[in-house]
Amino acid sequence: MERLADGDRSAFEPVYAALWPQLRAFAAQVLGPHDGDDAAQAALLKLFARASEFDPSRDALAWALGIAAFECRTFLKKRARRREDPAAEDAAAIADRWGGSPEAALIDRELCAAAGEVLGLLRPIDRETILSLENGQRAVAGATFRKRLERALSRFRAVWRTRHGDD
Amino acid sequence: MATTDLLATRARRAYELGRLRQALRLAPAALLAAGLALACGRPAGLCCALGAALLLAVVGLSFRGQGAGRGVVPGLLAGAIPLALPLATRTLGFACFGHSCAALCLPACVAGGVAAGALVAWFAARERAGEAPFIAAAVTVAALAGCLGCTLAGLAGVLGLLAGTVLGGAPVLLAAHARR
Repeated sequence: MERLADGDRSAFEPVYAALWPQLRAFAAQVLGPHDGDDAAQAALLKLFARASEFDPSRDALAWALGIAAFECRTFLKKRARRREDPAAEDAAAIADRWGGSPEAALIDRELCAAAGEVLGLLRPIDRETILSLENGQRAVAGATFRKRLERALSRFRAVWRTRHGDD
Repeated sequence: MATTDLLATRARRAYELGRLRQALRLAPAALLAAGLALACGRPAGLCCALGAALLLAVVGLSFRGQGAGRGVVPGLLAGAIPLALPLATRTLGFACFGHSCAALCLPACVAGGVAAGALVAWFAARERAGEAPFIAAAVTVAALAGCLGCTLAGLAGVLGLLAGTVLGGAPVLLAAHARR
């Protein structure tokens, strides 16, 4: 990412190959597979458009996930606005998809977006540990994983408290 | 959903447009240099030609990036010295004709070139990689900006600027290399 920000075009392919699956998985987790893909594409284009502004002192993945989280939140807001217009989307369909009321689904997804944003602020090892709960790709196993997860979750809670004020 | 190839093409286009947008942020500096020379009474045609060349160099090199891109801002800073010195002498009331030109305008161009060369070399010495493209880009930009002021002393002024740049830059660069 640092090389790409500096104008090294040969870094485009590796950065694209590394970031696209991460953004796609992240957005799918927050918005579901269909809107997730759209949000991930929008985030990817925004990310490459702003690649020249990337600050090398920052963690590239956290920066990318921050952009993706913002994009997901924009999608959620658009969805919420659409839902205010009764003709635009069928609320019952959303309720069915999420197994609850549309309001509960919206709160759930907003929580997911906020969690994604906090996740982007964690150290890479903590982020990978927490995400491995979802994707099952664990670098370590057994007690080591449990301890690592405990530490990662406590750091997640600390960052969450700083940004949102409560558990 | 777009196919992966199409998405990669769109991402690359977004990246290049982002770089162009970033490069265009430096365009006002080139326009300002040309405007300053014009305001100080330099011929409009010359200012436009040199200003356009400076604009192209600044935006093009910045868009290209890497060593050449990093050299643009130091080049503009360094070029501001030989741009300002001869223009200042003229603004202060010196007419650049015959002996009076050789007495002040020409030395101002050489001194400006020495200062610009030293500044470029100082920045270049801090470069970890891509020193040659950095110097080439910075000297090109500094020379074009400096020419906007140094053409006041004619061809001699431009040659003085270039000689000064080499004289000022070489010792600083050699010293930096010796320290490594």
